[in-house]
Amino acid sequence: MLAAKQVRSAVVIGYMLSITWIRRNLLSLVWLFATPFSILFIITVTTRGQAFVQGVIGSLLLVLVTVGTGLAGDGAWYRLEVKLLDYFIASPVHQIGFLLGIALAGLFFTTPALLVLIPLLVYLGLSLASLPLALLAVGMVWLFSSAIGYTVSTYVRNLRNGWQSGLALSVIVGILPPSFYPAELLPTNLLWLAYLLPTTHAVLLLRVLMGQTVNLSGWSPLLGWIMLTGLLLVSLFATSRAARWRQT
Amino acid sequence: MKAIDSILLSKIYHGGKNPALDRVSLAVDTGQIFTLLGRNGAGKTTFLRIAATQLSPTSGSILVLGSDVKHSPQNIRRNVAAVPQEGNTIGPLTPWDHVYLALLARGMSRTEARRRARDTLERMELADYQDQPADTLSGGLRQRIRVAMAVATDAELVFLDEPTLGLDAISRRRVWTVLKDLCKEGRTILLTTHYIDEAEILSNKVAIVNSGRLITSGTPSELLSKVEERVRVDLSGSKFSEEEVGTYGRPIKVAERWRVFTDNVRAGELTQEAVRRGSEVSVAPVSLEDLFVELVGREEEEC
Repeated sequence: MLAAKQVRSAVVIGYMLSITWIRRNLLSLVWLFATPFSILFIITVTTRGQAFVQGVIGSLLLVLVTVGTGLAGDGAWYRLEVKLLDYFIASPVHQIGFLLGIALAGLFFTTPALLVLIPLLVYLGLSLASLPLALLAVGMVWLFSSAIGYTVSTYVRNLRNGWQSGLALSVIVGILPPSFYPAELLPTNLLWLAYLLPTTHAVLLLRVLMGQTVNLSGWSPLLGWIMLTGLLLVSLFATSRAARWRQT
Repeated sequence: MKAIDSILLSKIYHGGKNPALDRVSLAVDTGQIFTLLGRNGAGKTTFLRIAATQLSPTSGSILVLGSDVKHSPQNIRRNVAAVPQEGNTIGPLTPWDHVYLALLARGMSRTEARRRARDTLERMELADYQDQPADTLSGGLRQRIRVAMAVATDAELVFLDEPTLGLDAISRRRVWTVLKDLCKEGRTILLTTHYIDEAEILSNKVAIVNSGRLITSGTPSELLSKVEERVRVDLSGSKFSEEEVGTYGRPIKVAERWRVFTDNVRAGELTQEAVRRGSEVSVAPVSLEDLFVELVGREEEEC
């Protein structure tokens, strides 16, 4: 019952901070739509189309990572500028409900990009039977990124630091891992570092789900799912312990 | 029953040397408007944020609606609402979006949220603007939206941190009326302000805080009874020396004019003398502002 109430609160907060906003300000969609496609364009042109599939996978993950880690800035804005955090702390809304709410709001802003990228993946070989698993994998990366972004937002002392932290996290979680290039190109020691990020496992799992072969020693789809789940749980646990709801 | 009961409540912020709140013990009865009055940085917001479960205390204890703020904040949060100080509205959301969606997020049914949002926007004189994006509205209207978000709830205890900051005189009075109405419904309001007239007009009880410490508390009339003199006489011009005005009462210099605190008889005598000398003179009862200036001024001199 309590969980259902928090989910309802999260959906309302998500709607409040995105749909109502988007309806009156379409410009707010542009950046999240343009960024992944501009990288996809560059990759496609420079590889003469050979890395197009990899680029689409990378773009899908990047847009979700960006909107998740972007909570470092958005969350700081709601906390420091709007004081929405203080409003909801003194209310029946739990921290997890608020986190889910602002994370959902971010997700709504990515809708135009998702509406292009997901059908594109299906067109490029992802079977409809595998689609739920693919969505699960990318959804876990989104939740991981949102948890980290939100946690950071509860610590930053000014908005500039919030936006900067979000962008830095987006590079670490969304661009540096082998999402826009094959993981096989990474030297072994860097590959082990990349395994510490959920993005790497999500990319590899998407490639497998699309029928590609992944030639990496020590990695298997089972290990990928285990790592993805483990990293998500660790991030959620860390958020529940470290994110500051009531200020100390 | 006590809505808030704090005992020796203290707060020292990380990296801070002096306590923002220093062993404050005070009680707020249910169904009252209780005002924390003080200068900027006096500790009003710190007390309010601790009571609203937004900030942890360093030491001492505080019960809100019978639950311990430190250990059972969740019990409290179900029954409170707050307007934080100096926040903002959300870009293109309308007043209706702000109030209605905040109520839904708090768990209210759609029918009830719709009814309360409509009613509150009308009471706050926001109905005419309810479909306009907040970022096209004036600062005063945006502040009223924020107050409406808390007032529209069914919370037993409402925390308002400087709710009328930046409002014009008419809007302030509109907010006061709404707060009085809430009080009549049996709800409790903890208010912070540095507008002394607001505290005097609105409050059932006032606590004056300075440098994190509680200086005094009571009803406005109880507080005023602490001032020995009943009347103040303001004299403009410099036709009186300090020695001369001192024979009529207790004089203080306020912006090139004398303010003399005295009793009714000597106020009459001083007024006659001032008229004879051609000074501009005005007579008024001693106000909470006079008490505030005296108490806070004395406290700061002692420090």
